[in-house]
Amino acid sequence: MLKTVLGMTIAATLSMPAMAQERGGTLNFARYDGSRLIDPIYADRNPDIWMVGSLFDTLLRGSADGNSVEPGLAESHAVSEDGKSVTLTLREGVLFADGSPMSGADVVFSLDRARNPDLSPWAGLLGSIDSVSADGNSVTIALSAPDPTLLSMLATFNTAIVSKAAFDAAAGATDQDKSAGIFAAKSAGVGSGPFYLCGFEQGASMDFCANENYWRMGADGKALPYLDGVHFEIVPDDATRILRLQAGEVDAAEFIPFSRVAELEADPNIKMQLYPSTRIIYSPINTREARADGSPNPLADARVRQALNYGTNKDALIGVVLHGAGQPMSSPLMAKATQYAADMDPLYAYDMDKAKALMSEAGVQPGTEVTLTTLAGSADDATIFAALQQMWAPLGINLVVEQVDGATRGAKNRSGEFDIHTYGWVNDVNDPSQVVGWLGYTPTAKAVGTGWENPEFNSLFEEAAKEMDPEARKAKFARMQEVYAEAAPLLFMYETPFAVAVGNAVDGYVQTPLGNNIFDEATVSR
Amino acid sequence: MSSLTYIFKRLFLMIPTFFLVMVIIFLLVRMLPGDPAIAMAGDRASDADIQAIRERLGLTQPMVVQFWLFLSNTVQGDLGRSILMRSDVTTVIVDRLPITVFLTVYSVVLSLLIAGPLAFVAALNRGRWPDAVIRTVFQVGLSMPVFYIGLVLLTFLAAQLRLFPVGGYGDTFGERLYHLFLPSVTVALYTSAIIMRNLRSAIIEVLDAEYVQFARAKGLPARLILGRHVLRNALISTVTLLGLSIGNLMSGTLVTETVFAVPGMGRLMLEAIFARDYPLIQGLTLTFALLVSLVFLMTDLFQSRLDPRMRLQ
Repeated sequence: MLKTVLGMTIAATLSMPAMAQERGGTLNFARYDGSRLIDPIYADRNPDIWMVGSLFDTLLRGSADGNSVEPGLAESHAVSEDGKSVTLTLREGVLFADGSPMSGADVVFSLDRARNPDLSPWAGLLGSIDSVSADGNSVTIALSAPDPTLLSMLATFNTAIVSKAAFDAAAGATDQDKSAGIFAAKSAGVGSGPFYLCGFEQGASMDFCANENYWRMGADGKALPYLDGVHFEIVPDDATRILRLQAGEVDAAEFIPFSRVAELEADPNIKMQLYPSTRIIYSPINTREARADGSPNPLADARVRQALNYGTNKDALIGVVLHGAGQPMSSPLMAKATQYAADMDPLYAYDMDKAKALMSEAGVQPGTEVTLTTLAGSADDATIFAALQQMWAPLGINLVVEQVDGATRGAKNRSGEFDIHTYGWVNDVNDPSQVVGWLGYTPTAKAVGTGWENPEFNSLFEEAAKEMDPEARKAKFARMQEVYAEAAPLLFMYETPFAVAVGNAVDGYVQTPLGNNIFDEATVSR
Repeated sequence: MSSLTYIFKRLFLMIPTFFLVMVIIFLLVRMLPGDPAIAMAGDRASDADIQAIRERLGLTQPMVVQFWLFLSNTVQGDLGRSILMRSDVTTVIVDRLPITVFLTVYSVVLSLLIAGPLAFVAALNRGRWPDAVIRTVFQVGLSMPVFYIGLVLLTFLAAQLRLFPVGGYGDTFGERLYHLFLPSVTVALYTSAIIMRNLRSAIIEVLDAEYVQFARAKGLPARLILGRHVLRNALISTVTLLGLSIGNLMSGTLVTETVFAVPGMGRLMLEAIFARDYPLIQGLTLTFALLVSLVFLMTDLFQSRLDPRMRLQ
């Protein structure tokens, strides 16, 4: 990568002062899984969520560092003194891909849809909104209580703006039917994003075509995107996806297994990109006094959970599983790239003596059997199990494996029928409340299924949801992270980047820390 | 019994078979841990959301009611709505069926093309080096997993030598033949190994038969003996075997369609199982069962043509 950056810098310097902006062409992109319905409010799987931004725009946009918001379809925004209303001024002259103008009515329609709990699984994130109204280019959002996450939410996929006219015109009895109908019809009218959907073959391929009416400008002063379009092909098998890139049949392949990263970095025809992400890999530990079968649970003792964390050599895990392409978690509740992440590095630095001391303090008998539930067919999980089994043997833990598929693991997490199981998370929202609510707040999901419950933590979380002062809010999140690290309801493992391999012809493609695939400024030179 | 009456009788007998298949698949999918509501709403959804989805999907009704609905709707040709694909199961299957049928037929043809001539060469050179080489190579083929053969072929023939495309499946018939060659060969290698072994010993057996020795003694040209007498008689057991291995070929598509990124029914089945998409799993199982039953029927009909001693009853 360094080589490439240098090369690009030299090329850029040589061709000064003005290098013509590369434009046109179609980027061929191999995906691990296909989209099924790209609609801001119905997108509930990553392959759908991560594409919403290509077809739709949000009122605000996340800044590059992820810690603030920038203008989007709204060119300015103001929060009232009491924090209970937000006023946005819409950008003039924004058109949907079919050429029809975007107006306040579209914004009201879209936000009302997004916060309707009967329609959207994400409606809860907009629970503070009382009403949305528009007057000309001015949109007012009235809140029932101040909501520190609201601006971040207006930069999140589920609040993206859809065309009311397109929905009104679509056939179908329900909103869901209309949405599916619009998607199936591949009509350009529904969004104002840099692209519109112009081809779709279930399970096989998908095409995006450039929206000629897009409002953002490129480096050459003309409208983005630079590409004519993007052609996606679904190639579920990791090895085949890489082969297609190597054979030149596609220009990019996502989700490269980390075991292949070094090999692709050495390939002169390929640029291996590792995009920073908010993805954390961790393992929930059952903290209930008794296991689901009624037997006493040795992991209920916080000292045992701490011992397992101390007894896990994170660097070694990163070495064997990720081939070095990752870093240990440094906050117990979120990835480094998340707003308010505390830097506790090293979090449970490998210390076998401490681990053994804690184990004997807790009185755990040697040979105690603990089950690690892993995903069947996952090479990463198999390696994790083998490594942990060895690492924990000196602690007297006899680690056994149970391999299940994703749906079974989800059911076990819900019912508490597990000791420890592998898991992962990527933020959907540019705010820590979502991940913290998931991992630690008991009412949401029993603290990621661990059954852990801490009154101080829960009330801090509830207070932070109303705290408008960023410093005070940050302090609350800092305390939550301290409490959580101490209690160790998780085996804290590591963060991984998004690994995407692109051909040398490709530039400017980005995958954001939230996972969104951004083709706005991508180019391909043929 | 005329063939037509026989076909009707066989089709009639399929009814209890299908009823059993429906009972088994209905119970099997529901015995798996996890359910469509959990898979659909994702791990993050609240228990109340999950319960609401269960109710909407009709999963809270008693099992007997659910099965009755499944049965009565299926009889009327309605396989329900796919939770995963958000469209009718019939539409989704009709969409994916041709490509899997194409892949399977292509594999059968390729396995015969590979196995047939080699079985003859091996049988005619029984015990000598060509026989040994052919049998060893196929033994290796039999003992390698399908996905591994697929990846090896992709790496060498497609990615390095660029003789074939790595992915895609083409639009026209010719393009399909070209694009689906590697996936079909992958499946065919395994089947052809089984067929080759069987056909070889069948040929050897027939070659030793008295009627063949008589034909030789009569001075019939070798080509005629092989074509008219040996092949026809040796094929009888091979056709049975081929029919039986259709099940294998179809389950092979689960792996090959994933490795080669072919959007057929095999890959769909995997996705449906992971998503606990009950209607889709049920619909796909019934379709696979129907295909296999039809192949068995065709096998029996073809056999009676090959060997008049076999009566249709």
